[in-house]
Formats: sequence, C-alpha cells, structure tokens
Amino acid sequence: MHTHDTHEQHGHGESELGNRYISEHYYYVDIAPYPTTPWGKFSRALKRTLRGELFVGLWVVLREMFKFDIHTVQYPKEKLLVGPRYRAVHAMQRLFESGTERCIGCGLCEKICISNCIRMETRLDEKSRKEVSEYTINLGRCIFCGYCAEVCPELAIVHGPRYENVSEQRAHYIDYAGMLTPIDMAISGEQKEFDGFGAVTPHEDARVKQTPLAY
Amino acid sequence: MDMAFIIETVVKIVVILLVFSALAGFGTYFERKVLAFMQRRLGPMHVGPYGLLQIAADGIKLFTKEDIIPQNVVKPIFQIAPVITAATAFMAAAAIPFMPSFTIGDYTVHPIVADINIGILYILGVMGAGLYGPLLGGLASANKWSLISTARAAAIFISYEVITGLSILAPLMMVGSLSLIDFNTYQAGGIGNWIVWSQPVAFILFVIAGFAETGRTPFHLVANDHEIIDGFGTEYSGMRWGLFFIGEYANMFFISFVTAILFLGGYGDGSLLGALGLLLKVSFLFFFFLWTRAAWPDVRPDQLMWLCWKVLMPIAVINIVITGIVMMV
Amino acid sequence: MEQHITITIDGREIQTQEGEFILNAARANGIFIPAICYLTRCSPTLACRICLVEADGKQVYACNAKAKAGMNVVTTTENILTERRAIMEVYDVNHPLECGVCDQSGECELQNYTLEIGVDSQSYSIKDTHKPAQDWGLIHYDPALCIVCERCVTVCKDMIGDAALKTVARGSDAIHGEYKANMPKDAYAMWNKLNKSLIGPSEGDVLDCTNCGECTAVCPVGALVSSDFQYRSNAWELRSIPATCAHCSAGCQLMYDVKHTSISNSDEMIYRVKNEWNYVSLCGAGRYGFDFENRVAGKDEAAFASALKAFKKADTIRFTSTITNEEALILRELKRLHGYKLINPEAKALQDFLGAYGTVSGQKLYRGDLKKVHESDFVVSIGSALKTDNPNARFAMNNAITMNKGAGLYFHPMSDPVIDGMSKNVLSIVHAPLMEEAALYLMLDLFAPKAQLPKAIADYLAGFHSTKTVTIEESVKEDVIEKVMVKKLNEATGVEEEVEEEKKKSVTKKVSKEVEVDENALLKLLSAPENFKESLDKLLAKKERFSLMVGPDLYTHPNSKNLARLCALVEKHTPFELVMIPSLSNSLGVALICPLDDAAGSYAIGYNTQGDFILSALGSGDLDMPSLNQQEGTLTSIDKRVNPTNAALAYHGYELNDIANALGLNAHYTIDYTPRLGEVEGYLALSFDALPNHFTNSGEEVRGYLLESLTCKAEGEEVAPIRLEAMEGPMLYLANPVLHFSPFTNAAHQLKSSGALYASDAFMQRYGVQEGDTVQITTPHGTLRVAVARDGKIEGEIPYLPTFDTNLNSEALFNGYRFSTASFQKV
Ligand code: SF4
Ligand code: SF4
Ligand code: SF4
Ligand code: SF4
Ligand code: SF4
Ligand code: FES
Repeated sequence: MHTHDTHEQHGHGESELGNRYISEHYYYVDIAPYPTTPWGKFSRALKRTLRGELFVGLWVVLREMFKFDIHTVQYPKEKLLVGPRYRAVHAMQRLFESGTERCIGCGLCEKICISNCIRMETRLDEKSRKEVSEYTINLGRCIFCGYCAEVCPELAIVHGPRYENVSEQRAHYIDYAGMLTPIDMAISGEQKEFDGFGAVTPHEDARVKQTPLAY
Repeated sequence: MDMAFIIETVVKIVVILLVFSALAGFGTYFERKVLAFMQRRLGPMHVGPYGLLQIAADGIKLFTKEDIIPQNVVKPIFQIAPVITAATAFMAAAAIPFMPSFTIGDYTVHPIVADINIGILYILGVMGAGLYGPLLGGLASANKWSLISTARAAAIFISYEVITGLSILAPLMMVGSLSLIDFNTYQAGGIGNWIVWSQPVAFILFVIAGFAETGRTPFHLVANDHEIIDGFGTEYSGMRWGLFFIGEYANMFFISFVTAILFLGGYGDGSLLGALGLLLKVSFLFFFFLWTRAAWPDVRPDQLMWLCWKVLMPIAVINIVITGIVMMV
Repeated sequence: MEQHITITIDGREIQTQEGEFILNAARANGIFIPAICYLTRCSPTLACRICLVEADGKQVYACNAKAKAGMNVVTTTENILTERRAIMEVYDVNHPLECGVCDQSGECELQNYTLEIGVDSQSYSIKDTHKPAQDWGLIHYDPALCIVCERCVTVCKDMIGDAALKTVARGSDAIHGEYKANMPKDAYAMWNKLNKSLIGPSEGDVLDCTNCGECTAVCPVGALVSSDFQYRSNAWELRSIPATCAHCSAGCQLMYDVKHTSISNSDEMIYRVKNEWNYVSLCGAGRYGFDFENRVAGKDEAAFASALKAFKKADTIRFTSTITNEEALILRELKRLHGYKLINPEAKALQDFLGAYGTVSGQKLYRGDLKKVHESDFVVSIGSALKTDNPNARFAMNNAITMNKGAGLYFHPMSDPVIDGMSKNVLSIVHAPLMEEAALYLMLDLFAPKAQLPKAIADYLAGFHSTKTVTIEESVKEDVIEKVMVKKLNEATGVEEEVEEEKKKSVTKKVSKEVEVDENALLKLLSAPENFKESLDKLLAKKERFSLMVGPDLYTHPNSKNLARLCALVEKHTPFELVMIPSLSNSLGVALICPLDDAAGSYAIGYNTQGDFILSALGSGDLDMPSLNQQEGTLTSIDKRVNPTNAALAYHGYELNDIANALGLNAHYTIDYTPRLGEVEGYLALSFDALPNHFTNSGEEVRGYLLESLTCKAEGEEVAPIRLEAMEGPMLYLANPVLHFSPFTNAAHQLKSSGALYASDAFMQRYGVQEGDTVQITTPHGTLRVAVARDGKIEGEIPYLPTFDTNLNSEALFNGYRFSTASFQKV
C-alpha cells in the first residue's frame, strides 16, 4: 500500500493547478518498470504466477459473498434521498398568498431553450390579461441545462427535486397542470423556493440602479 | 437395433436437450446471483420471489423478440451460425456419461447416449467444430466488431485445442482408453485414485484450456463488451442470439462434466453417492467459472497467445514426456 | 428633373437628390440615424426629436431638413447624444414594465432604442395618470404603452385618408419646473408635448374608419395592436413568409407570419400579416383577411378521378381572377390542347377594354401606375368606387393630395364621404350612371389642346359650349378710414388715457354686374356643381403632374369600347398619366394571358365559381384546390408588375397542375410555368426562384419584374359621341363593402359576415328601413330578398350589393354593367 507520499514522488513537475482536483486520499499504484530482457519477462511471469494474486482475488470475492453485506437500493421500493441542491424536472411556481400563477407567458423560456423542447399557448383572458393556456416541456428532449429557469423574469419556472422521468414514449411531456404547484399548497405556504438558478440573488437590491419614484 | 434401444436413445437425447437447455437458463440466473453477491449486490429481484422467474422472463423475451437480419449480412450463413454453436455443444454431450447406469424394472439404462470407444476424441472434435459458430457468425455479420471477434475466436480456439489435446494425452496414456466410461472405471477406487493427483499439471492445463474454449473470463476476449461490443453476437437478436447463449452455457456444463470425469473421479463406483458426488463436482466447477469471473480481470489477446504457446504448450509436452518416462520406469 | 447632389454624412460622401430629407438620404446609404416618429411617404411630425443631427454646424432634425449640395452632416455630437439619452429616458418615464406580455416585445422600437442608447437609469419622473385600454373592434389601443409619436395619426391622415385618429388631452400634471431649467432642450420640448397628449378617435369614443389597420402596423410600441392577435404569440416565434396579397389588384407585398397551430397540432397556421409600412400600406382585407386557406386532409383520389371525367366531358372552363399567372397559363394551354372555352366575364371586360384602348393608343397597356399617382399633384378618378375597388389607389390619391399640396376630381354616381374627407381640394362630381363618357369628354375638353385633337372631336366638344350672359353679384372691397377712441396706457405716466386713432377698415360692397360666361353642357350632363369652373381653376393652380385613374365601371359599361378609346385619347392629348384599376386580384394577368371567350358551351367546369363540376379553393366544390396563400406563383398587379407570392401554408391535395398533367401537359410544379410566361407578350422568361420580393432601404420596390412595354397597331382616333341617356330613378350598384373583395375575404375568420344590401342613412330614411330589415330588390334582370346593412361611409341614395357572399347571387340582378335600375320594397 502506498500513501500519498508516493503521489508526491510521482506528481513531480505537476503545477498546483494540476493537483487541485486530486483528493489527498488518492495514491498512485506502483508500476514497476517493464522488463526488457527475456529472463526478466520470464521471471516476472513466474513471480506473478507463484505469488498467488489470483487466489487473493478469489478469496476476496468469496469472502464478500459470505459476508452478504449488500449495498443495493431496491428502487423503486426504496429511494435514496436526493441532495438539497438537486435540480431536475421542472415545476411552475405560484405567487404566495394570492396563489396566482407566476408565469406571465413571456415566452423567454421557450426562446432560450437550446433543445427546443418548450412549447406554450397563450391567449387573452376574461380579465384582458395574458394567460398561459397550456405549457409543455418535452422531457425526452430536455437536457436540464437550467436556462429556462435562469431566464424566467418571474421566477415562475424552476427545477424541482423530481428526477423520475420514466416513460413508455420516447417523447415524454409534462404539461402545465402537472408542473403547477397545487393552489392550496401555494396559499398555505408549502411551496418551496429554490436557491441558485432562477432565484433572486441576495444582493439584487444593491445592484438595481435607483430610479426616482417620487410618486 | 432393437426398438427399446431406439426409444431409450431418443428419450436420452430429449432429456439431455431439455435438461441442459434449462440448465443454461438456470446457469444465467446463478451467474447473475453469484456475481451480484460477490459484488455486494442483490442481482435479479423483481420477477418472481428473489427474481427466480427472471429466467422465464428472459426466455419469453428471447422467443418473442424480433429476429432482425441486418441489411448487408450473408443471410444463410448468418442464420445458421448460432445453430452450429448450440448444436455442437449438445452433440458433444452424446459421449458423456452423466450418471452411473441404473435399472428400471429389468431394463438397464446407461445414461450416456453413445458409449463410443473414442469418446474423448469425439468430444474434442465436436467441440472443435463448435468454432464454426462464432467464426461464421462473425464473418457473416458485416460488422467490424464481429470481424475482430472472429479473428480472435479462430486464434484462440485453434491454439487451445492444442493445449486441450496435449493436456489429456498424459491421462490417456495412463488409462489407455479413449472411452470416458473407462476413465470413470479407472478412478472408481475412491478419491485417492483420482487422476488429478497423478496428473495435477494436466488438470490445471485442461481447466485453463477449458476457460479458453468456453470463452469465459479471464479469456472473455471473443465477446469483450467494452472493446468489441458483443463480438460475433453484436448483430444478433432474439432467439438466434439466445442460441449462442445457450451454447455457451451448455458448453460450460459439459466441460465441467468432462473435467469431473477425466480428473475428479466421475461418478465413482456408480452408487447413488457417486452420482451425487459427480453432480457436486460439476456444480463446483460451474461455480468456479462464475467465481473467476467475479474475481479476475481479462487478459489481452496477445497475452493469451503468449500464454498458450510459450507457457502452456511446453509444459504440456514436458508433462507428457515425464508421464511417459514414469510409466516406462 | 431630379438633381443629383453630393452630401457628406459622418465623413462619407453620398449621392442623393436635391430636396431629399437627410434621414432618407442616410437610410438609402445604410447610415443609421435614430428616428421614431418619421414615416417615409408621410409628412414629418417632429414628435420625437431623436433624429437630431448637425448639418453645417447647425442642429436640425434629419427627418425634416432637406439635403443641399455640399452639405456636411454629423450624426452624433456630444450634445446630440445627451439629447437622445434624455429623450429615451423621457419615453421610459412611467412606461409599464410589461414587455413580458406585450405583443410588440421583440420588435418594439422603444425596447430597441432604449437598449441602443443604453438607458440604464432614469433621471425624470412625473405622476402617472390612469389610462384604461380601449377596444376599437379590430384594433386595441393601450394608452399606457403609447409614446405619442403620432405615427398612427400621421399615417391615417397622410396615407390612408381617413384621418380617423387625433391627439387628445392626457390630463397629466405639469412637468416639474426644475426639469425645464435643467433638462436638455429638445428632450424637454418633446416631453412637454408628450405630457399633454394621447391618441383618440377623431370623432366619438370608438374608432370609426375603414379599418385598414395601418396604424397598428406603424405603431412602434404595443399601444395599437390587432385585437385578434393580442397575446396569441411572441413575435420571435413566428416565421415570416414574404408574399403578395391575394385580394385585390394592387398586389401589395406582405408577410404571412406563421407558426404551429398549438402544442398538439404542429400544422402551421397564419397568425397575422405584416407589411413594410414605410413603403407599402395595406388595407384591412389584406391585413385581417389572411386565413382563407383551404385545408384538406390529403389527396381525394375519387374526387380527382371524377374531375378528370368531368374535364373529358367539359367544353368550357369558367373561372375567376383569383388565380396565379401560372394557373392562367395552364388554362391557356388546356384550351390549346382540348379547345375548352375560357369564360371569365370580368377579365374579359378588361381584356376588351384594353383591346379597344390599344386601337387608339398603340399600346396594350396604360402608361401610368400607382407610384406615379403618389407623385402627382392632380388626381382624377373616373368610374371606380375607389375606396373599395382598390384601396391602394385611394391611398395613392390621398397621399398625392396631402403630401404634394395636390387636388383631385372624383367622378362617381355614389358620393363617398371618405373621398370627400381626404381634403377640401377634392371635388366630387356625382353624376348619373352611364354618364362616364361625358366625364371623359370633359377631361378632353378641359385638358386637351383643341388644336391637337382630331377635328371631329374638337368640333364635337365645341358643340357643348355656348355663351350666356348672366348677372352676377360681385363683392368689391373698399377701404374706409374711421376715427375711433381707444383706451391706451401712457407709458411715460403709467396712466390710462383715451386717445383718438385713425383706423383703416375694409368694407365689402355688393355690386351687380353683367358678364358673358361660357356654358358647358357637359357639366350639366354630369350634374356638376354650379361653381365647378371656378373651383376647378382654384384646384388647378400650380399643378404639374397629373394622373387619371379609371375603374371597372368603364369596362362593364355598355359603350365600354368607346370609353376605352376616349381614355386613350385623354392619355395621348392631355398631360394625364392613365391607370386602369383591374377589378380583381389578377384580372390583368388573366386578361393578358388567357384567350377568353364570350359564350360558354354546354358543360362547364367551374374554378372558384359556378359550374357543372366545381374546383374550389373555398372548400365548397367537387374537388378541392389550394387557395392563394397555399400556392407559389406570380400575380400581375395594377402597377404592371409581375409579383411573386409564396405558399405560407402547406396544401396536401390536388392542384390544377395535377389535372393539367393528367390531361396531357407536363410540369412537375406549377411554378415550372413561371419561365414559360415568357411565351406571353410582355412577360419575361424568368424562373420563379429568380424573382425577388422585397424593398430596399431607399424604398425601391425590388419585386418580380415589370411587364415590358407592349405595343400594338393603332387604328385611328375616331370616337363615338355620347348617345346613351343617363340612368334614372332608384338604382343599385354592384360593389363590395370595405374589407371585402371576394368570397376569399369572407373565408377569413376576422372578416366573415353575411352579405346584405348596403345602404346609406339617406336610403334607409327614404324607404323607412332599419338595419336588419329585409327588402325585396327588383331589377329588370331579377329579384332578390336580402337584409339591409347600414354603411356609414357612403352617401346618396344608391345602395349596393356585394359579391363576396356566395349565398347571394348578386350578379344575376345586373346585366354586366355595375349599375342597374331597381325598385326596393320592405318586406
Ligand atoms: S432545462 Fe434547458 S433544455 Fe430543459 S427545458 Fe429548460 S432550457 Fe430547455
Ligand atoms: S420565462 Fe417564465 S414567465 Fe416567461 S413564459 Fe417562461 S415560465 Fe412563463
Ligand atoms: S411597448 Fe415595447 S417597451 Fe413597452 S412593454 Fe411593449 S415591448 Fe416593452
Ligand atoms: S398609438 Fe402608437 S403610433 Fe400612435 S402615437 Fe401612440 S405610440 Fe405612436
Ligand atoms: S385602421 Fe386605418 S383608417 Fe382606421 S384609424 Fe387606423 S390607419 Fe386610420
Ligand atoms: S424622426 Fe425626426 S423628429 Fe421624430
């Protein structure tokens, strides 16, 4: 076994930058120089044959079999917790309190989507406002780049923690109803706000130039 | 030939076909389970209790899947190749005594389809002919991976035929017969009589050659997924691919039987215990195939050739010479 | 005539014409000067002031300052940049931040200039006012978004001629005094004006106009938008297909904006129509009548087979002029191969008219076009209900009169308040039907040098004149001197005193006088107003460029051949440029391409019209055909231009070309016939893909090609005298209401309506009918029961029946000529 001291030896000449991504627990395998003489080759083969490494391997797996220390997670019966910053299948947010849909149908997400998988329909509603009548994302094509969430001026479309995308169809869509936070959840404040892409940055106020709002 | 003999033979053939086809299926199940456990996994769990019906699911899948014949293949050869693999595997089984003879009423059944006196030669020959499966399948597939696989198959099989042949030459000299039943009888005296003790080198060589002949890890070069996809099987689908598969697993069983009979005393004295012993030995050998797969890496093709011609072949020859000298002395 | 001069803009020497606005000169040469309120072809309003430039060291407005030889223009100086920045800041004051939902977003000039100028902070503010949005039918106005550039007002007045919009009071607080002192000057002046006004209808609360929608096209922001399109799609999702309007002979260039129908339906549909409003103005039919496509699921083989059977059996093809030149050529070829009679009465009338015209002029086609009308300063229209027959001819007349200080005469039996409303310099002569000959003789009489005219005609004209002694009352002005006492402030003392002052005063006295006057019997025939002669003299003062437009009333007139020869004489002997208004989209093309017949045979195929077997792009026939927004091809316009049009929507069925191929012709696509148009005199052998369809920055129309001059043999200048009597009594006219031309306009969802008898208030009063009542119309040719609809845009007592509604067989009530005597009975 080699400690990371060995790594120091092997890592000669590598800049700080080159080492940056290497964990301190990594170590380099000691690779002996390749034998060049026939005798060297023969003796290496002999050594390897007689050292019984093969049997070590056999022993290790046999041991594990009998230990029966199984690590399988039996999805979908059991599910792992996803990290709090995990962002996948989209969700559509509502405004707090009023529960009004945040999406105003500006179409920026549709425009920016690099895999061209968003389509929406808008119309004039009874209150003479722009209304999103239907909105879909083809999850079969979405590459979860997050651009849509980033561009949304209303913080309406966000990536939620849902990651299950299984479908019998290659093109698998989610529709507006499927994405919208249920209204009771929005009103009761259960809707989650997400950090990161598409969220207000904490220092946003300071960055907006002051405009005279005397009235 | 009397009627009873014909009926007996047909029944034996059918039983062997059915049993070993089924065994090939179970073999895959065990392989997955064993590999999984050794790798801290569970293996198939969803179809049936503990995934037991996975074999049925696979069977249904293989049978119902579309048989795709790609555009540029040489159609008749492409179609026949998997049959060759499966057929030669089962044909080899004809000369293997699976069990001691037993009687039903007053009729004595010999659990061997054809007790020919050159059984071993026959098995070696038929297994050698099995080479044509991967060879033709790969050549006909119009696929570069398949072609590479074919080249490897030809090289490996031909090389290791030599090892197989040479390695059992020494035991043959000792037994003085080519019939497997004679081999069994030769070792009937108990564990101490097993040829493995007198011919350990031959035993090891034979097992290594067996791995090569069946194309199992560490010699899984013919269909090495990470470099040549499924090798000669790449273009195959449905039941045709399934035949290759059955052939491979049946081969594993037969090699296990042959090894057990040649070196590990076969069914011994022919008692029930001896029969069970044979099954146990075969099971262990089969398990060993799986075990190595979990534990060992694959070697490179050149290493394989190197091993064959520069290491194993000389050793086998030396072994024969020594055996000869010992027998003479 | 035009003088080429050289000016320098930002160090670049460019060529332009004397008197051209600096802005236009710059644009033609690809130099960018920001400008918001200016519309090419209309008068500068100086509302935005952002086009400030420095010409020879002086700040001027580029849209208003004319180029002079050797002028040196600088487009940016420090001061100009400050002004521009301040102007854009002012535009952004209180502008709602609703780009996210605004229909204009993505093509909004306010967005563009705000970004271009780089406005990232706001220095000005004022209390906002409440400005609720207004719904004006086809048009939606949101004053909150309006930047009061007045482009809508300008275009409506200077181009369209309705003058239906004006600025109204905004009711805002005064701008804080501090700004006046500190702000850049022009920005303040612009704000001051902006802060006082909004846009509103000229009369009443709701817009009442001819609904051309041009104001929505020119509006730089989302203030004026189409109600139908509102919030349906973002501009950038739409794909623009350049095409040629299919509805009338003006052949306007337009863009069909298409996108998938919905999430689940990927078939494209047309969402709206756009135009290059700086260079071409659309009418409402073109703008709102875009979805007249014929959607079919696929090829109906059974119908096709029976069509072929019908073609084998037929000896006649009836068709209308809403087809492409290529289809017309196919029909011609079919006639050549199979001897079909080609029947199209309306195109035939034009064909005969052109033929008769050629016998005098030696030209197969008139000399003028609408561009020349735009440039002229005296426009005469005879024999056309201009407003509806060809809206663009009306725009041209209006534009000429308003922009060139022009004047015009409008001869038509129906008086039209829209025409009268163009300018007080338009004189309408409401003559009786059938008197069009008198109008043309009057033109000769007034404008042709008698010596130049053939003797017979000169004599005939002289025969109308007589002298008469009349007593007239004349007003004479006399100056009298009066003494008056006025109160005045003694500046030295500061005390107010009474001072006697002498004042000159002019007094008008009436004097009776006997004078000899020339009496023109032609004027009487035309029921011209009493003071026609004097008014005309006034209108004609300082006029240099003359245009005459004649319309379909002449082609269908019983004496149409004589009228045609008269037109040729007018064109030959007077300074007038002649334009003939073809009655339908491609009447001119059909008239030039197809050998048309007078009498039909026994079994007729009808293409978009009646027949024993009907091919129809309206979806109502025996075999479906693609409509003009689903076809590639060319159309021949009033300007003698062969314009290409593209298929905006897919068509999955059979087209005429398929039938033609089955009948022995051979072409893969219909547009394979485009180069073969070269076989027709006047057309060029150019392939479809070689035809451009756009305007350049200088406004040059780069579309298709112009028909080459077509000469023929002139046969002499004899014309027949007026023999027909004026039509008298109650009468009926055949015309379409505003926004309609043919069944195709009626297929559009925004325009769909059912045909009625369109009548003025005077008519309704006289017959005691209300809107919606049914009347029975009886003419010598038939009777019809139909509902009455009010048309506020006509006057007089002649109502009209439309042709756009296939449920009304209006033509059956007429005998070719567009007028008929009729009696009306309320039922
Ligand atoms: S995450 Fe990216 S690919 Fe997916 S919908 Fe949004 S913009 Fe499109
Ligand atoms: S960017 Fe946001 S507000 Fe705009 S359409 Fe997409 S989800 Fe709606
Ligand atoms: S008019 Fe222009 S700037 Fe104003 S909301 Fe609409 S797109 Fe935005
Ligand atoms: S409505 Fe539009 S075009 Fe008219 S003044 Fe306002 S911004 Fe200008
Ligand atoms: S629609 Fe046309 S006529 Fe009506 S206000 Fe607008 S520009 Fe004027
Ligand atoms: S464009 Fe010249 S003042 Fe507006």
